[in-house]
Amino acid sequence: MKNSLRVERAIKNITQAELAELIGVSRQTINTIESNKYVPSTVLALKIARVFEKPVEQIFLLEEGD
Amino acid sequence: MKPQFLFPTWTRWLGLALFLVHLPVILICKTYDIHSDPADSGMFSSGHLFFVLTVVLMVSGLFLIAFSRERIEDEQIYQLRLSSLRWAIFANYFILIICLIFTNNRADYKDMLRLNLWVPLMLFIIIFRWKIYRLNRSLKPE
Repeated sequence: MKNSLRVERAIKNITQAELAELIGVSRQTINTIESNKYVPSTVLALKIARVFEKPVEQIFLLEEGD
Repeated sequence: MKPQFLFPTWTRWLGLALFLVHLPVILICKTYDIHSDPADSGMFSSGHLFFVLTVVLMVSGLFLIAFSRERIEDEQIYQLRLSSLRWAIFANYFILIICLIFTNNRADYKDMLRLNLWVPLMLFIIIFRWKIYRLNRSLKPE
């Protein structure tokens, strides 16, 4: 699974720490999601999507082989 | 995420204090051979009370360290906690089975029980801290 979190963050101009605070997780978690090392739960993905006011599928995408 | 039952963050330091307090107590007791009077071996005798005091201090200390909440307890930490616990249990049972194979003496069983009192918690704490350290080291700069 890949995601466009970094891009979305750049568009909205917020830092990892700010995003983390908005959804109530640690900055480490946002960082590992961005570097594709951690797959967030559905709840967390929905919360992230709500911050960016976009559907989840626009931020998190399935890859070949998933 | 649904909140999991864990102790508040400050209890980690309380646990550490309890654990550190028990160390000099044990050392003094071993050095001066305080409670080795065989006649004094009943329930709630001084030897028994001393044993209970030190063991309870140690185990409750480790317990509090192991199950205190992180500053930000999110789902990734929860996942690390779970996998650390699994590895700790694996390792503990491995040690236990090895001990069972190589002990043939009733006196050793007491030592095994003592070992089992703190090994799972200690392993869990070490593995969990190690995983958090690795996580923090692996972060990419923004």
